[in-house]
Amino acid sequence: MSAITTARPPRASAVTGTRPLLRVSLKHDGRTFVPWAVIATTLSVSSIILYPIVFPDEASRAALAATISANPAVGLVFGPANDLMTADGFNAWRSLALGGLMTALGAIFAMTRATRAQEDSGQAELLASGVMGRDSRLLTGVAMSAIGSLLVGVAAGLLTIVVGGDPESSLLLAATFTATGWVFGSLAGITAQIGADARTSNSMAVGALGTLFVLSGFCYSVEAPTWTNWVNPIGWMHETRPAAGNNWAPLLLAVALSVVLVAVAFLLQGRRDFGQGTIAPRPGPDRGVTRTTWRLALRINRGPFLTWTVAFVALGFVFGYFATSISDLLASDQGIQQVIASGATTPEEITSTFVRLILSMVGILAAISGIQVMLKVRSEELEDRVEPLMAGSVARHRYYGSNALVAFAYPTVFVLIAGTLIAWLASGSDLGVTFGDVLLQAVVTVPAVWTVVAVSVAVIGARPMLSIASWSGVLVSFVLTVLGPTFGLDDWVLGISPFWHVPYVAAADPDWTGLGWITLFTLGFLWIGFAGFRRRDLAR
Amino acid sequence: MTATDTVIDVQGLLKSYGKFRALDGLDLHVARGEVHGFLGPNGAGKSTAIRVLLGLLRSDGGTVQLLGKDPWKDVVELHRRLAYVPGDVSLWPGMTGGEAIDLLGALRGGIDEPRRAELVERFELDPTKRGRQYSKGNRQKVAIVAALASDVELLILDEPTSGLDPLMEKVFQEVIGEAKDRGSTVLLSSHILAEVETLADRLSIIRDGKIVQSGTLNDLRGQTHTAVHATFVRVPDRAALTMFHDVHLDGDRFSATVESTRIGEAMDALAPSGLTSLTVEPPSLESLFLSLYGDETAAGSAR
Repeated sequence: MSAITTARPPRASAVTGTRPLLRVSLKHDGRTFVPWAVIATTLSVSSIILYPIVFPDEASRAALAATISANPAVGLVFGPANDLMTADGFNAWRSLALGGLMTALGAIFAMTRATRAQEDSGQAELLASGVMGRDSRLLTGVAMSAIGSLLVGVAAGLLTIVVGGDPESSLLLAATFTATGWVFGSLAGITAQIGADARTSNSMAVGALGTLFVLSGFCYSVEAPTWTNWVNPIGWMHETRPAAGNNWAPLLLAVALSVVLVAVAFLLQGRRDFGQGTIAPRPGPDRGVTRTTWRLALRINRGPFLTWTVAFVALGFVFGYFATSISDLLASDQGIQQVIASGATTPEEITSTFVRLILSMVGILAAISGIQVMLKVRSEELEDRVEPLMAGSVARHRYYGSNALVAFAYPTVFVLIAGTLIAWLASGSDLGVTFGDVLLQAVVTVPAVWTVVAVSVAVIGARPMLSIASWSGVLVSFVLTVLGPTFGLDDWVLGISPFWHVPYVAAADPDWTGLGWITLFTLGFLWIGFAGFRRRDLAR
Repeated sequence: MTATDTVIDVQGLLKSYGKFRALDGLDLHVARGEVHGFLGPNGAGKSTAIRVLLGLLRSDGGTVQLLGKDPWKDVVELHRRLAYVPGDVSLWPGMTGGEAIDLLGALRGGIDEPRRAELVERFELDPTKRGRQYSKGNRQKVAIVAALASDVELLILDEPTSGLDPLMEKVFQEVIGEAKDRGSTVLLSSHILAEVETLADRLSIIRDGKIVQSGTLNDLRGQTHTAVHATFVRVPDRAALTMFHDVHLDGDRFSATVESTRIGEAMDALAPSGLTSLTVEPPSLESLFLSLYGDETAAGSAR
């Protein structure tokens, strides 16, 4: 029996109408959770399937463990590797941090979509005028993100067991996905009350998630005091140690925190006006100085620029400080000392590989900002804001060029900001690298970033319906550059990532030809994008 | 009409979206200095035609000339000479109305400062509000001010008053009249006759991507029939009434319709029978439009 068919009028309360609203929301927005669930599940399932194939014997497993401890930069993303000698341990290392991150992103977006985004689009006004309690929409958002996170956990856990994962370890691992989703979905419930619109709310929640994620990996990698893991919700997930102790207790902390965050969100919602954030908008200037497409492109991307700048200053400090501690880590590691003693590599080579890898990671992250600029071109077009501009005396290639220029400039600035900080901190340590070398390494990483951004320029210009394909460059680079080496892929596969072609500037004779090749690809992608944008119908 | 006097010259324009044919051989001619009403029901192809004229969409066939140029190739030069008000105005959420006016004006190649100030005043627009705070009508005002604040040869307006209140609609009509007095040509699209009736010199009616009627208001009135109701002293000879249509003669009571242009002749034909009462209903354009729109729905549902 539903509230609609009952003859007796339902008792009015602050949450009246939640059930029908939740049913409709699940039906229409439920599928937006699917990509996140698929990624998290694939991570976990593929680890169990691939591990025995890629690392069939003890020796190869030991080699994997040595490789990972030799490159602590990998730990920034994945957190601690407790046990790499079993498939479940490998899965816990490879999936725990990223699976939780994906679930949390899905939960954040689901929460914002059900609450703040509806107020922006006007849907909420229709709903609020119906038989609907004050707290129904927020409660629906809470339910959406909680149910979505739970389903990710159930899917990942059960499928992992099906393909042969140890039941308890697999379930605990999947439970950390769900718990991470709950914590950050609830946090998004708060940011939805604070931000002036959906975009701001999402940025705040994702920013908090990103910061805590990086801090957690950082603290593990530099072997910071244990308490640093216990003040960070993502640290709690690592402390569950799936397949290496199976400690369920930290998940209780996550549940408790989620409850507190949701309570705060309801409190804040009761205190703000409909459609308004906590901060009221002030009148702006009556005259404008934004008078060219270039200034406009800068203007509409200004908010993200400031956020990213802060993020990359933070990233520069974290990675830079990290670099200063690497020599100690290497010295204390038995496995790596043996490799060095055997003459297979030198400390200088390890350092050089390490510096190049963290700068590639910086580059891949920075490329995201450029792709966002290009996706903004598409969303502006779909929101009918390009039409009046192009009715002005504006050539298409100039409009597109202004935006592409911003899309190239932003990641360049961010790589240089983070690169300068890393160079400054690393050169001040006993790592044996100079400021100039590290900064130059950052500079030569930039052309690879451009190639990745140029993919999105091509997609948005020529095939905007497939705008999701804009991310392919980042995805390929991340998988091949960060994950690829541990799977022993062939060079020609690794070479699909433009970052593979970035030269080692500290080497005796750096090979610069790779940069030429990837720049040719960049130019090709740009040509496709500009030719496509000139020829296609706009505002469709 | 010579080529230099034709501001918009469209012949046999075709445009398809996938299988859907949005424009199916559209012809449109707008002379210099006129206000041309572009009427049609929702979904008839008005906005598609305008987007082709603006060079946003590429035509699939036919010829299009705007001010003697190709709207797809000569975008930059052409757009310095025209201004556009979209039907759905979407402003940048964080940018004030004043900033949007200056941006759009600057991209067109300059703004007439005194006129900008005057228009902001007359439309009672608060230019310090952010895009996301404006109502639909106020967003439209921003677009109208931005378009009219520069001196252009051609104004293309796509349902520009759909969100304005009656007072602001009056201001809009005055402002368009002034633009016409300055020598601008205006293409004014709408789905409501009353909106263009007061302003337009000529009209084109679009239906299913084709122009079905075109001419001055008087031309179109001429195609409508005037209704005549009369009571006679003597029952007239049927032969004397051949010029009438839909004749109903019930004893001494007569009702029929007649072409509006032949109303004088009609009176001459009726007078010999001795009139005791006479009612002549002027032709209603609205009924003409409703019949044209109605055909469209009938044709649409028949497909």
